Amino acid sequence: MTEETIRVLYLDDEEPNLFSFKAAFRRDFEVHTCNEPHKAVRMLDDAEFHVVLSDQRMPRISGVEFFELIMPDHPDVSRVLVTGYADTDAVVDAINKGQVYRFVSKPWNEEELRNVIKAGYDLNRSRVNNAQEGQQVLAAMDGFVGDLDRLTADLNSGHEANNVAQELSLLKGRMMEERIRYGRWVELQNSRSK
Amino acid sequence: MGVRPIYGRMRGWVWIALAFTWCLQGCSEGATERKVDALELMALEDVDGTLRPDEVHLRAQLLQPLEGEQPNLGMRNSAYWVKVSGWQGAPRNARIILDNPTVDSIDAVILDGPRVLGRQRSGAAYGKTEDLIPTFNLPLNVDHELWFRVRSTKPLVLPFTLTQVDRVKTMRVQRDLALALYTGIVLAILIYNCFLAFSTGQQAYFSYVLVVLTVGLVQWSFNGYDRLIWGHIPWLARNGLTIMGASSGLAALIFAREFLEVRRYTPKWNRWIQGLLVIYASALLAALLNQPLLAYNLVNLGALSAPAMIVLSLISWRRGNTSALWFFVAWLIFLVAVTTQALRDFGVLPSTPVTALFMPLGTVFEMLLLSFALGNRINLLKRSSDAANAKALAASLENERIVKQQNAELEMRVQHRTEALGQANAELSGALDELKGAQDQLIQTEKLASLGQMTAGIAHELNNPINYVQSNATSLRRDIEELIEIVDAYSEAFAAMAEGAHGAQAMAEAAAEKSRKLDLDFLKEESRQLVAGILEGADRTTKIVGGLRVFGRMDGDKPVKASLAELLEASITVLGNRARSKAKIEVSLQQDVPELWCQSGKLSQVFMNIVVNAVQATESRWSDAEQRIVRVELKHLMAMGEGVNTLEVRVQDNGTGMDEETRQRVFDPFYTTKDVGKGTGLGLSIVKGILDDHGAQVEVESTMGDGTTFILTFPITDEAQTKTEAA
Repeated sequence: MTEETIRVLYLDDEEPNLFSFKAAFRRDFEVHTCNEPHKAVRMLDDAEFHVVLSDQRMPRISGVEFFELIMPDHPDVSRVLVTGYADTDAVVDAINKGQVYRFVSKPWNEEELRNVIKAGYDLNRSRVNNAQEGQQVLAAMDGFVGDLDRLTADLNSGHEANNVAQELSLLKGRMMEERIRYGRWVELQNSRSK
Repeated sequence: MGVRPIYGRMRGWVWIALAFTWCLQGCSEGATERKVDALELMALEDVDGTLRPDEVHLRAQLLQPLEGEQPNLGMRNSAYWVKVSGWQGAPRNARIILDNPTVDSIDAVILDGPRVLGRQRSGAAYGKTEDLIPTFNLPLNVDHELWFRVRSTKPLVLPFTLTQVDRVKTMRVQRDLALALYTGIVLAILIYNCFLAFSTGQQAYFSYVLVVLTVGLVQWSFNGYDRLIWGHIPWLARNGLTIMGASSGLAALIFAREFLEVRRYTPKWNRWIQGLLVIYASALLAALLNQPLLAYNLVNLGALSAPAMIVLSLISWRRGNTSALWFFVAWLIFLVAVTTQALRDFGVLPSTPVTALFMPLGTVFEMLLLSFALGNRINLLKRSSDAANAKALAASLENERIVKQQNAELEMRVQHRTEALGQANAELSGALDELKGAQDQLIQTEKLASLGQMTAGIAHELNNPINYVQSNATSLRRDIEELIEIVDAYSEAFAAMAEGAHGAQAMAEAAAEKSRKLDLDFLKEESRQLVAGILEGADRTTKIVGGLRVFGRMDGDKPVKASLAELLEASITVLGNRARSKAKIEVSLQQDVPELWCQSGKLSQVFMNIVVNAVQATESRWSDAEQRIVRVELKHLMAMGEGVNTLEVRVQDNGTGMDEETRQRVFDPFYTTKDVGKGTGLGLSIVKGILDDHGAQVEVESTMGDGTTFILTFPITDEAQTKTEAA
């Protein structure tokens, strides 16, 4: 599964936390840290990240507000909120406004956090895959429709029916292939989600 | 006592009237015997009144005999020539009299054929007092004729009689006496009622006085005595009677209208009375314009008022006007008198002195009865007014009783109210106690809220260093393992090299390879930093816990000796990130300040509360956290000469500031500018309470849109110490 390197961004106003995080997870993931929210936004724009973690209490902007900010441009990235103390308001906001994927409290359990990041990566991948798969299926459908249009035009302009029938059977073969491929993908998704 | 006199008065009047009747009767006794019916009367009408005496005998064939004792020729404008015979053979002292003072002119003419032998004038128009009963001499010669020319604007009644001279004199005296008596009575009534009129002020009396006066004058005129008053004025002689008659009619009607209260009891009759008043007024006008005939006829027409009054008074009586009965009787008597007079004039009744009495007697009785009626009416009025007075008195007594009763009730109510007030007071004290309890509870709530704030702050502050201490320790262990791995590899290679074993070189290369692969240099650096992080985290944790220690027990009331500098620092630390992340907090604390006996937990609550408010004020003004500034200062102010020895804490912000009203109410309980549910409005009132307990002054300076400064002044005195110790 993790053939690909998991790219993680951690945002916290306290430097010691950033250092600890990097030291803890640098062997597992490609870790990037940042102590300024606007810098973090720029980093997200510049390169693709699979998981973003943020501290809740920061000067000027809260973690939830930060997530709210990046959502429109990076909807697929998995958001994890890390906080030393969470009151009810913060939790409610995290879910409703920031659409946070997970909620981790400080001091963190390294193993647990690692799993959270991995799961976040999977979620990100499946979101991206879903989108890609959807695009692929749509493109295939468009292709089939184009072929059918062309064959109908040929038939009307007096091409030989034998040739057209041959083409149609070829087209059917391709559609069957696509159907089988999509069926396998759906099965894979189902088995993953189980 | 005002009710009784009517009987006395009545009795008096009745006696007077009886005496009068008796007297008149006595006076006229002699006259009844000398009824002379021997005279024969023949009359000739002279329509124009232009016939001369010498022309009369030529018209002897036109003479009409006159029948009866009192021949009545009616009311005509013509003159009449009356030939009187039957006097022949009368004694020398015999005289002819014509006892009718209303005849305007009487000419006695003695004729010998056409020749006028003697002439004698008399009548009202001649105005001689001695002619009230004019006497005429008889002709000396029985062959001569005695003619009378009579003319009058009144009914021409001709009671010619033959009488002796002495008798005439007696008659005159008797007549004078009767009229004097009558006048006396009228005057008595007049004066008495005049007096009553002025003393009671009742309008009815005034009109009654007018009635009496005019009726009396009518009787004077009727008997010819009016000329005694105004002498010989022909115009008055002709019109006096009608003027008086009309006046008395007017007066009687006005009196009746008032007495019978026509408008109240018989409003419909008012029209009739007005009509009759118009008739009398016209009569008066006619008389004044010297139209005696018309005037007399109008007065006669006005006589309709007598029956009208009778009917009217009866109706009025039936409708409840009790005085109207007197009025009825009075007018009935008057009507009887007038009727009798009329019957006598027309010869139906014999013209005796007795019948002549009817008219004056009638008027006297009428006047008397009207006087009684008036008295009765006044008494009734008085009685009803007495009744009204008694009623008013009873009402006022009743009022007094009610007022007394109300007073008693009022006293009772006051007592009740006083009791109720006492009860209410007790209830209020109860409510006050409850309120105090509620306030204590609220203060407790506020305390818990600030405890919650503190807990959140402390949790966050502590969790961060704990986090990296813990995380660093884990990472460090891994680094150390890797370092040991490298060290092991090198030490194995070193041992092999020392033994000179084969493959030692390869082992050294492998170790070098391992250290390259694990990035030894990085590991060394990371380990150092991880350790540094652990140390820093531990240090920070220690600091926070040290700060907490300064607070003491959160709700501990026991005073401790503490430095405000440490307290302020701890408070700000505990507020920590929550405040620091939102605004720039500049702290400037004088460290060498004397320690103060204080309730440290409560004071830290004060400082936190004020600082949090300051931060919130800057948040409302600035959107950029960099621009939000809260300054916390502590200074020891000392000026020994002025006895100043205080610690001053200033918390200054560059937030929104307050208006004057908010500034003044800032310490009022439940006053808050925050949204509903965001603040209890108790924070600063509790702050004030705590500061009061410490004997500290608090001052607020604020400019709208510019910021607020809280200045807390703590006195350093033994008193303050003992006070807080006592608390």
